[in-house]
Amino acid sequence: MILPKKYRSLTVAIALLIISFSILSYSAVRLSETGLLRKMVLEIAAPVEDALNRSLKGLSDTWNRYLFLVGKEEESRRLRRENDVLNDLLNSYREGYLEGVRLRKLLDIKDGLERRTVVARVIDNDRTSLFKTILINKGTTDGLQVGLPVLSHQGVVGRIIETSWHASRVLLLIDENSNIDALIQRSRAQGILQGAGSAGCNLKYISRAENVQTGDVVLSSGLAGVFPKGLLLGLVTGTSGAEGGLFQKIDVASTVDFGKLEEVLVPLPDAGPKP
Amino acid sequence: MIRYLLFPLLLLLLVIVQITVLDLFTLGWVGIEISLAAVIYSGFHLDAFRGCTIALLLGFFLDCLTSAIFGLYTFLYILIFYLSTFVAGKIYAEKSSLIALFTGFCTLLEGMIIVLLYFILLGTDILYAVPKIFIPKAILLGLLSPFLFHMFHRFEASLHATQTRPAQRI
Repeated sequence: MILPKKYRSLTVAIALLIISFSILSYSAVRLSETGLLRKMVLEIAAPVEDALNRSLKGLSDTWNRYLFLVGKEEESRRLRRENDVLNDLLNSYREGYLEGVRLRKLLDIKDGLERRTVVARVIDNDRTSLFKTILINKGTTDGLQVGLPVLSHQGVVGRIIETSWHASRVLLLIDENSNIDALIQRSRAQGILQGAGSAGCNLKYISRAENVQTGDVVLSSGLAGVFPKGLLLGLVTGTSGAEGGLFQKIDVASTVDFGKLEEVLVPLPDAGPKP
Repeated sequence: MIRYLLFPLLLLLLVIVQITVLDLFTLGWVGIEISLAAVIYSGFHLDAFRGCTIALLLGFFLDCLTSAIFGLYTFLYILIFYLSTFVAGKIYAEKSSLIALFTGFCTLLEGMIIVLLYFILLGTDILYAVPKIFIPKAILLGLLSPFLFHMFHRFEASLHATQTRPAQRI
């Protein structure tokens, strides 16, 4: 049957649509074997797709690596900032802890004293000059006055030689102008502990007859009334009793590490019972 | 002769590029179905034999390379090709806005038919895909279609400039 040219195109369209729809319907309901044409298309397409995907994957990996590195850089910067902040925080906590430990030790001394005490912070440490002094942040408004002893948890630091309202200067035990009544704990021999600058201190006026040994503990005798009795002044580091004269020359090293002094305790003069 | 042998391979390459490379541009959100634009272009500018062959081949390749029911795209592309041929006789198909609108409409129609066929043939309800996939796809392809038509035209002109059929207004 020959169709008129007018309807030929329409007939072809309808025929194609019916055929394709039939294939579609058939495929939808039945799983058929892959046809030869499809196999050929897949065979041709597979390597091309593989090559394209490999190239794209390479590009994608490069891009992702770049993004990853950018992200890492940003993360690293953020972590460094966080690390700095945490280090500061840790330092402040560590400082707080150490301060607490030091204050605890001072408190132990404070509890052992019968007088009221003031805790002061060292604000200047001038040990290089001729006079070995430190400056503390408490003054007359806190009850401090010239002549008061200054202690640390390691022992006697010295005595106050100047005061203002909110600061005081302390003459250290090792200053040549410092003289403190002392005794040797083991033998109970009494003398005067005089500062000797960077060499430490000398214990004077101890008879040659006294048996003094290296390592003997030197304490305050409490005689002059400035320092309470029994405070640790230092340890004997050497004697020169064999030389001529009535007295021995005894070298004493202070137990206080003046370079690391941060807080000190000042016992106030007797003005009533401790609260 | 060699042109007729290479042409199916070119169409296959187009489909491969479409399903591999172009998905990247939209991050797999919606596909850019250049093959559909090519079918509409064929309906507008090519004679029935050549246009129908292109639609058949593109549909067949897509059926082979996608996980759709076999024959789905072949059927759809033939349908859209004849619809385009019919419309090309009624409107002035060189106008960018009309190309964009018609391409968008065809993309949406394709989506609706897919939803319908899946429901009828497989009993699967994929209506959610209309707002999520087909409408954005229709807008995207509609916007791109004037540019794609221009590229197809240049390609066609480079192949056989003398045999092209200008769009007619009846």
